[in-house]
Amino acid sequence: MMSDLLQLVWSGLALGAVYGLVALGFVAIFSVREIVNLAQGEYASLAGLSAISAVAAGVPLLFAVVVVVPFVVAVSVAVERVAVRPVRHMTPLVSIILTLGISTALKAAMLLFWGPEAKALPDFPGKDFVFAGVSVRSQELWILGVAAVVSYAVIAFYEHTTAGKALRACAEQPIAARLLGISPRTATMVAFAIAGFTGAAAGVVGSPIYLSSWSSGLTLGLKGFVAATLGGLVSFRVAMLGGLLLGVLESLAAGYGATGYRDAVAFVVLLVVLLIRPRGLALKPTGVRV
Amino acid sequence: MGRLRAFVPFLVLAVVLAIAPIALPVNLVNMGVYALIYGLAAIGLSLLMGLAGQVSLGHAAFFAVGAYTQAILVTKTQVPGILAAVLAVAASMLVALVVGLPLLRLRGHFLALATLGLGIIVAVVARELEVTGGTSGIFGIPKPSFLGRIYDSPQEYFWLLAPFVVIGLWLAQRLVHSRTGRALGAVNDSEVAAECLGVNTYALRVRVFVLAAGYAGLAGVFYAHWLAVVSPEAAGFELSVTLLLMVVLGGLGTVWGAVIGAVAVEALDEGMRSFIPKLIPGASGEVQLLGFGIVLVLLVVLLPGGLAQLWARVTRRRGIAVATAAVSRAEHDGNDAAMEYSGLQALSRLLAQADVTESGSPLLSIRGLTMRYGGVTALGDIDLDVRAGEIFALIGPNGAGKTTAFNIITGVLEPTAGTVTLRGTDVQGRRPHVIATLGATRTFQNLQVFGSTTVLGNVKVARHLRSRSGIFRGMLGLAGREEREIEDWARTAVAALGLTEHADQRVTDLAFGQQRKVEVARALALAPALLLLDEPMAGLSGTERDSLAWLLRRVRSAGISVLLVEHDVDAVMALADRVAVLDDGRLIALGEPEDVRANPAVIAAYLGTDADDDALVRAAAARPVPA
Repeated sequence: MMSDLLQLVWSGLALGAVYGLVALGFVAIFSVREIVNLAQGEYASLAGLSAISAVAAGVPLLFAVVVVVPFVVAVSVAVERVAVRPVRHMTPLVSIILTLGISTALKAAMLLFWGPEAKALPDFPGKDFVFAGVSVRSQELWILGVAAVVSYAVIAFYEHTTAGKALRACAEQPIAARLLGISPRTATMVAFAIAGFTGAAAGVVGSPIYLSSWSSGLTLGLKGFVAATLGGLVSFRVAMLGGLLLGVLESLAAGYGATGYRDAVAFVVLLVVLLIRPRGLALKPTGVRV
Repeated sequence: MGRLRAFVPFLVLAVVLAIAPIALPVNLVNMGVYALIYGLAAIGLSLLMGLAGQVSLGHAAFFAVGAYTQAILVTKTQVPGILAAVLAVAASMLVALVVGLPLLRLRGHFLALATLGLGIIVAVVARELEVTGGTSGIFGIPKPSFLGRIYDSPQEYFWLLAPFVVIGLWLAQRLVHSRTGRALGAVNDSEVAAECLGVNTYALRVRVFVLAAGYAGLAGVFYAHWLAVVSPEAAGFELSVTLLLMVVLGGLGTVWGAVIGAVAVEALDEGMRSFIPKLIPGASGEVQLLGFGIVLVLLVVLLPGGLAQLWARVTRRRGIAVATAAVSRAEHDGNDAAMEYSGLQALSRLLAQADVTESGSPLLSIRGLTMRYGGVTALGDIDLDVRAGEIFALIGPNGAGKTTAFNIITGVLEPTAGTVTLRGTDVQGRRPHVIATLGATRTFQNLQVFGSTTVLGNVKVARHLRSRSGIFRGMLGLAGREEREIEDWARTAVAALGLTEHADQRVTDLAFGQQRKVEVARALALAPALLLLDEPMAGLSGTERDSLAWLLRRVRSAGISVLLVEHDVDAVMALADRVAVLDDGRLIALGEPEDVRANPAVIAAYLGTDADDDALVRAAAARPVPA
C-alpha cells in the first residue's frame, strides 16, 4: 500500500520534471517580453521526434541528443526572427494569436513529416533497479538529473550573471535597459533560445517514457504553462516545483482510479490557482502586472 | 434613410444565401453548410474578441456543450427538437456563466489559457462520461423536420441555417452599435476612463461571454443534427483554433468578418485537405492545420486587421469622400459655435440632471488619506472636505501628490490607509464605476480619450449611467428613443465646450487642447454631482481658458461641485472658492484663495521649488482678485 503510494509519487516526480522543464521555457520568455509562447510544447515534441529519426538513421543516441538540442534552439530563434520580431504592436491578444499560429503550423509540419503515430526514443544508458519497494527506471533518474542541471543553469544565468539580469531588466524597464545598451531585440532572441533549449531538453529526456508525437506538444505545453502560472510566469523555482507537483497529482489521480481524468487535473489546478491567487503562488511579490 | 441603408448589406447577404444552394454544385453547398455552422459560432467569438477584448482559446467547449445537450435530448428523451435546441443553447450559456464569473476577473494571457484549459476539461469529461457515449460519442441524431419538411440534403439544410446566420449577424451588429457596444468599445480604448464614466467592465464582459457561448451552443445544435454524430472532437483544440482563425482572418472588431472569415477558412480547409496530400504523398490527418497556422502568423505580421482591413484599403477612396462630406457639414454647423440661447437652456437642463445635495453640505470627505509606494510616501495623512456647489482647487508643485489624490478619490488607486466618503458612502478601494454611480467622475491629466471613435462618440459613452437598455434591447433595436436622447444630451455637452464643429471628427485628429475639452465635455455629459478635473486648462488658449472658467461657474451654479487640479495658479485663484495646497504629499494650506496666497508655507513651497518660475511666484505674491 505504502509502496504503491511511493511508486506513484516517484513516477509523478519524473513526469513532473518534464513539465517543469517546459515551464522554465515559458518563464524564460515571459520574464523578458511578456509573451506566453504557446509553441513551447512543440519544441519538446520536435526534439523528441528529431532524435528518434536520427537514432533510426544510425546515429548513436547521446550524439543524436547533442545534435538535436541545438537544432531546436535554432528553430526557436528562427520563430523569434520570422514571426515575433516583425510585429509592431504586441498586445497579449496579438501574442496569443501569433504564437497559437506558430504552434499550429509546427504541429502540422510534424504531422506531415513524421505521420500521426507516437514514437519512443530508446532509453538512455543505465540500469533499472528496485529501491525500497519502488521500481526505479534509469530513464527517470536521467529526467530528474537533467531537470536539476538545466534549472540550476537557467536560474544561475538569469539571477547571477550580468547578461541574465539585463534580460529581465528589459521587461521591467525597457527604456532604462536601452539606455544601458541592452537591446530588447537581442534580449528577446536570447530568451527564445533558452526556451528552445529547455523545451528540447524536456523532449529528449521525456521521449523514452512518455513518447513523442506531432500532437503531444499541446498538452505538454499546457501543463508546462500551468506549472509556470503557479510561479506567476516569472519565478523559475516555483515553475519547476509546480511542474513536479502537477506530475505527482496526475500520477496519483491516475493511480487511484481516475485514469481518464488525468489530463484534466492540471487545468483544475490552473483554475483553482488563478481564482485564489491570480499572481501565482510565488512567495515574494514579483512586481509583474497581470 | 440611414436606417434603411444599414439593411442593404443584410439584404444582399440574404439573397446570396437564398440563391447559393441552387447556383452552386452540391460539394460546395456541403462546404457552405459547415461555413454557416462555424460562422454562427464565430460571430459570437467575434463579439467576445472584438467587442469585449477577451480571447477564448476554448470556444469549442461551448460548441460541444450545445451539440452534446441536443444529441442527448433528441436521442435519449422525448423532448421535441425545438425545445431541445433552446435547452442546449441555455446549457452552453449556463456553463459560460459559471466559468465566466470567476475567469473574467483575470486579464490577458491568463484568461486565454484558462479557456484553453476549459476546452480540454470539456473534451475529457465528454470522453469519460457514460451519458455522452465515451470516445465514440452519440450517434443516430435524426435530421430535423418542421411542418412536414425534412431538412436532409445539403441544400435544404443550407436554407434552414441561412436565416439563423443572417439574423444572428444582424443582432450582433446591432449590439456593436448599442449602449453596451459603445461602452465596451470605450473599454477597449481606455478601460480606466470608461470605468470612471460608470461602465462596469466586468459585468459587461460576463454578459458578452455568455452571449458568445449562446452563439456557439446554437452552432453546436446545428452541427449535431447535420453530422448525426457528436464525439469529443467537437470540443477539440482544432475546432477552437479554426473558430479563432475565422475571426482573425475576417477582421477583429467587425462581426461581418466572422461570416466572411468562416467561408474563407472552410475554403482553405477544403483546399489544404486536397492539395497537401498531392504535394506530399501519404499525408493524412489534420494536415490543413499547417495552412491555418501559417495564415494566422501571416495575418498577425502583415494584415492585423484581417480581410476587413483589406476591404477598407480597397474602398478607401469612398471613405475619404464620406469623411469630407461630414467635415463640410460640421463646418456649416460651426457657424453657431457661440452658444445660442437654446443651447444654454439645453445645458441648464443637462446640469439639472445632476443629483446634487443642498449647497454647502459635505459631499466628499477625506480622512487620514495615506498612500505609500514602498518606502516613498506620496500622500501623508490628508484630511479635506469638498462641499456641495463649490469649486475646490488642489494645487502644489509637481510630484506633490495631486494626481495620486485624484486617483484614490475616483477609485483608480487603493489607498494605503484612510477613508474617502462620498455622499455618506465609504468608497476607498471601490472600483471607479461604483464611484461614478455615486455621482463623481473625472478627466485625466494624461489624456484618456476613446481613440477609435468621434468626439460625439466619446461623449455619448458618458450617458451610460443615464440610460438603461441592456444587451437584449440593444440587439433587438428597441432602444431607438433612448439612443436619440443620448445623442441630444451628448451634443449639448459638446456644444457647451464649443466643440460642435468637431463633433463628428475622429477625436485623435484634434489638437491636444481640444482633446482635453472633449474629456471635460464627456465628464459633464454624465451630469455628475462632483466633477474632478485634472489640469483642464493645459494646452488651452487664453480665450478658451476664459470660456472654460465661465462654464465651470455655470456648473457650480447648478449646485455641482468641482474639484480642480491646475497648474495655472492665476486661473485657480480667480475661479476657486477654496484652495488646498499640497507639497511633498502633505497638506500645507487650506482656505480661501487670498488666505492661501498669503500663507508663508505656500510661498516657501513654490519659491523653494523653482525660483525662476515666475507664474508661480506671481501667484504667491498678493494681488487683487479679478472679478
